Amino acid sequence: MSAATNAPAALDVPRHHAFSRFCRAFAKRPAGLAGLGLLVAFGVLALVAPLFIGDDQLNVIKVDGPQLSPPVDGYPLGTDQAGRSVLLLVIWGSRESLSIGLIATALTVVLGSAVGLLAGHYQGWIGKILMHVTDWFIALPSLPLAISLSAVLGQGAASITIAIAVTSWTATARLVRAQTLAVEARPFIERAKVLGAGNTQIMIRHVLPNVMPLILVSSTLTVASAILSEATLTFLGLGDPTSVTWGSMLQAAFLGGAVTAGAWWYLMPPGIAILIVVLGFTLVGRAVEHVLNPRMVGR
Amino acid sequence: MGTGNSRHKLAALAACALSGSLLAGTALAAGPAASAASASAASQETTLRVKMSGSGVDTLNPFLAFFDGAYDVFAAIYPTLNSLDETGKPGPYLADSWTQSDDKLTWTFKIRDGLKWSDGTPLTAEDAAWTLNLITTDAVAGTANGSLVSNFESVTAPDATTLVIKTKEPQANVTYVSVPRSGIPIVPKHIWESQAEHLKDYKNDTFPVVGYGPWTLTDYKPEQYAKFDANKDFILGKPGFDHMVQQSFKSVDAAVAALRSGQLDYINGVNPTQFKALQADKSLLTIQEVGNGWTGLEINYNARTRTGKKIGTGHPALGDPVLRHAIALATDRQTLVNKVRDGLAVVGAGYLPPAWPQWVWKPAPGEETPFDLDQANKILDDAGYTKGGDGVRVDPKSGKPLELRLGIHSDDTDDAGISNYLKGWLETIGVKLKIQTLSMSALNSDLAKGDWDLLMDGWTTGPDPTFLLGIQTCAALPKDDGTAGNTDSFFCDKDYDELFKKQLTTFDLDERAKTVGEMQSILYKADVNQMHFNANHLDVVRTDTVTGVIIGQPDAQGMYPAQSYAFWGYLKATPATAKVTAAKEESGGSALWIGGAVLLVVLVGGGIALKRRSGADDRE
Repeated sequence: MSAATNAPAALDVPRHHAFSRFCRAFAKRPAGLAGLGLLVAFGVLALVAPLFIGDDQLNVIKVDGPQLSPPVDGYPLGTDQAGRSVLLLVIWGSRESLSIGLIATALTVVLGSAVGLLAGHYQGWIGKILMHVTDWFIALPSLPLAISLSAVLGQGAASITIAIAVTSWTATARLVRAQTLAVEARPFIERAKVLGAGNTQIMIRHVLPNVMPLILVSSTLTVASAILSEATLTFLGLGDPTSVTWGSMLQAAFLGGAVTAGAWWYLMPPGIAILIVVLGFTLVGRAVEHVLNPRMVGR
Repeated sequence: MGTGNSRHKLAALAACALSGSLLAGTALAAGPAASAASASAASQETTLRVKMSGSGVDTLNPFLAFFDGAYDVFAAIYPTLNSLDETGKPGPYLADSWTQSDDKLTWTFKIRDGLKWSDGTPLTAEDAAWTLNLITTDAVAGTANGSLVSNFESVTAPDATTLVIKTKEPQANVTYVSVPRSGIPIVPKHIWESQAEHLKDYKNDTFPVVGYGPWTLTDYKPEQYAKFDANKDFILGKPGFDHMVQQSFKSVDAAVAALRSGQLDYINGVNPTQFKALQADKSLLTIQEVGNGWTGLEINYNARTRTGKKIGTGHPALGDPVLRHAIALATDRQTLVNKVRDGLAVVGAGYLPPAWPQWVWKPAPGEETPFDLDQANKILDDAGYTKGGDGVRVDPKSGKPLELRLGIHSDDTDDAGISNYLKGWLETIGVKLKIQTLSMSALNSDLAKGDWDLLMDGWTTGPDPTFLLGIQTCAALPKDDGTAGNTDSFFCDKDYDELFKKQLTTFDLDERAKTVGEMQSILYKADVNQMHFNANHLDVVRTDTVTGVIIGQPDAQGMYPAQSYAFWGYLKATPATAKVTAAKEESGGSALWIGGAVLLVVLVGGGIALKRRSGADDRE
């Protein structure tokens, strides 16, 4: 990372430069690239799935495959108890699993950043109250809280998304608050204040851009845990039983006795899919962290 | 909860203590299960090791218990007036004979002489009279079984060997009121008399529990096990084992793993996938029992109280018989049997299950509701249910679209499977289903308030159908204040109620069966309780450690009669002569490990991920 190159550039160019610099640094991290490749592959599959998977393959009253059959011609990963192709179910399941993971992360980041930013900026009673609320949420055991939340909100994708967001925003909030405190202690904030910048301007224009890289790193890691949480909650029966997700596949397989039947083709694919996607996000997250965090350079 | 009835899904309530239980289940599958069982099996004395009912035991107080697991324990440790034979007919137990007066109002039971409770106190007719009187007169004592004795005028014990029961109206099923497992257990008066005041709080957990039966309860740990010693002097025969352990398993797969590795002898109730996988195992005997229950759909067609006040939020269009019949036409019961139960079930029609052939009713040829989506669409079109732009029909009377809630049990795989099919079929006739997964308690609470449209439900019954028929009578509707109802679907029909009274006072079996058949015909035509199937009950036994636990002979299709396993099965089981100790892991073992590993990754990973969020500290 050579900081001298962008000195004479025009106002909007440093950002462009920073981005390409980031990309170049990221490209030097093979693990990060591998993770990105996995995610792109799954993302593309999820997006194009409706082109070749439809009601005929997913609706139990229309499929006619053999029941709980090991891999055979036409069913590369075998079938489930209703006679649906497990391969197609896994691909279709990625849509809901990924979207719940991403939306829950977006909610988490927005909620957590807002609370962290406000708590870091207004250090008086507002900050204290916000941090006490955060501490209170941290002290609550997450899994039982998520279970009770989705039980109260009624089952389905929306309530699981909310339950994940509500239980996981606290880490982002603490992280952002700490960084906000550090940024606000710097001289340029003082200068902005002297020049008459209001609270909103300081938070949005000065602090937020400096906190952003941290939020980015934290969110890539949050996606991974959100996807795992989604699978956990759906596996525990809090999802919509008629929708196909990785968690619900595992639940159906587990409760249906696939373990005793030795139906590995039913249990393994959704589990491995979760593993791959979570791994992908974690690899990307670590790589981004390394690139953006100057203290980690060279490690 | 009634004459030979139990709401089997009520029992499964405990099984959905979600996260912990599933983890525990996986851990059990992997680790040494049944440690309690194997410890005692090592000694010279023999121990029968069985899986406790999935529900577990809610309380050891027989006046308050509702769970199947508790009924199993009571059948082992408390006596009843009558026993039931293989065909479900009452036989002798405490009473060795019984007579009824000419006016059919007085029953006289001759109680055996010389029986002693497990602490040595004589067991007399006075114990039985005291127990039955307490349940008749005390509201708390009647919590679990009060409805069985509501028609009792008085119960007296003129001497130690005579019990006289007087009923208000003639009652045909008095000999079913106190039977093992599904009837009223008789408790020792000298122990319970001092507890009658505070019955609600009495846990009955002083071991060994004073009782009389094939077994004596010596130890019980909630969520773990119940241990029994055999009663060598038991009047109906000496148990074949010296001890019995009922081991609690949170997951049937874990129990199957224990069975395969020789740590368990008998599992009552596995699912079809497990059953078929275990059929290949030479050291196991897999049997199918004729189903003693039904699984079906209930429709909230007219939720109201006894006085006719409308309650709840049911969809108004369900009051229309045409819509209900269309739903019945759009249900392919044969496919449900084939796909959801893997063929191991009987297509449902009549309200009472095939386990008790005397009550079985089938629609006359030509009166069966076929699977016919076109016909369903046609009758809905004719009745004015026009399709909206989104393909969902609209109720012409209320103007509401036909979007119905379907409540299913969160812990029941059959429910989840069926709901997928129903959703598909009903979509093709323009009815949209919204599936709501609910715990048993949430479901029951919604049911009582009438806050539902459609529900998946299931009941099992003993040989006397009175209770199961009774939950469809007008008298089962709730009062205006919402209490005292045990209705199953708010069904209320005058003709049905008259037949209900008639069958209860009909002492001739054939005539009573005819009346019961007419009642089932009324239910069938109303389409309010739509029977999907009667699932065969599936059991697995280790043949190298136990014989005789299965009662009766299979019929031509290989189906065994409904097993009274908790009473006769455990009593008549004996150790297998050629005992093979080394039990091999079958091929399923590796898949078990892999499956367990995948589950652990997801569960633990999810737990850690959630935990991680909460444990994060300030990082700069």
